[in-house]
Amino acid sequence: MLLTSVILILQETLEAAMLISILAVISRQQQRKVTWLPAGLLLGGILALLYAANMRSISEWFDYVGQEVVNASLQVSIALALVLLTWLVCATGAPGSSGQSRPGPRRDGRFAFVAALTISLAITREGSEIAVYLGGFMQQPDKLQAVLTGSAIGAGIGISFGFLVYYGLLALRGQRGAWLPLLLLGLFCGNMLSQAALQLTQADLLPAGPFLWDSSGWLPENSVLGRLLYALVGYESRPSALEVCAYLLGVSAVLVSATLARVRR
Amino acid sequence: MLLPDRWKHGLTFLLVLVLAGGFVSGSLFAATPVIEIEIRDHLFYPPEVVVPAGTKVKLLVKNLDPTPEEFESYELNREKVISGNSQAVIFIGPLPPGEYPFFGEFYPKTAQGKVLVK
Repeated sequence: MLLTSVILILQETLEAAMLISILAVISRQQQRKVTWLPAGLLLGGILALLYAANMRSISEWFDYVGQEVVNASLQVSIALALVLLTWLVCATGAPGSSGQSRPGPRRDGRFAFVAALTISLAITREGSEIAVYLGGFMQQPDKLQAVLTGSAIGAGIGISFGFLVYYGLLALRGQRGAWLPLLLLGLFCGNMLSQAALQLTQADLLPAGPFLWDSSGWLPENSVLGRLLYALVGYESRPSALEVCAYLLGVSAVLVSATLARVRR
Repeated sequence: MLLPDRWKHGLTFLLVLVLAGGFVSGSLFAATPVIEIEIRDHLFYPPEVVVPAGTKVKLLVKNLDPTPEEFESYELNREKVISGNSQAVIFIGPLPPGEYPFFGEFYPKTAQGKVLVK
């Protein structure tokens, strides 16, 4: 039970940790406050518990595909929020460049609001799975200790990974330091849209297509590297054409938003 | 009707085509095959299900355990939480022939199964 919970909690934590780290780096680069973090964590935690507590009835919505519809809605909302965040970031000053003016207090507030909302939505989906998982062991006291220990280890590794990404990105200087966080934000946005497309395909609300490619032979998704890449950039070994299109749409949306905001500035 | 014969033949042909098309697509979309899988004591019953190749299938997974489970498959690209004592619908396919393992992510040591596409 211990190892299972380590892997499970780690998988669910990685994605949110990654998103929080990228947003924290962008905030630091623009001398913004990170007040959105505790607010987003709190709101996300509450929403995750609410989602988990109502999982059974939500699953029955829309002829038993309520879970997919809710998850896809969360993912599309996160993607939209990331496009908006990119705009706010790029409209106020080149991230990482020295001698930039500090963003005005009003813009700062808007960024903090959207950032808090974004991470709370990311935590809602991943956190609800953790809550459902742990909730199942509340009636099994004999296994609870192993599960909680494993979960703590998994969460610890996930959070450490977040810090690694955070300090790694902060250490980058110049153009690379400015563009890499934005590019990762774009990949995250693409990942969200492609996951939403997958959820809706699973619910039979979008048509299923053949796999566009199959790279499971040389990089299986259940390998350590495969799972890490899944959390980092949404790696999928057998994606459909629809998922790939959704992914590219998400990446381009962030890049276009960044470019337009800079041109207008 | 004041239509030339050529038009009448054309229209009749079109009508037959539409009716035939409706019939064929109707029989194609009428029934997505449903396959039932049960979860009992963290095991899948049956552990192997056979589905036809190139066909969309609706998996009806009934979790008879009081504990939640998560149906997961890397090969099928599917993932879904199923609360204790409840059921879930997961659409899969159309798929090429092959073996597609799935497992219960919450109890992966025992909850293992596979979809055989033939």
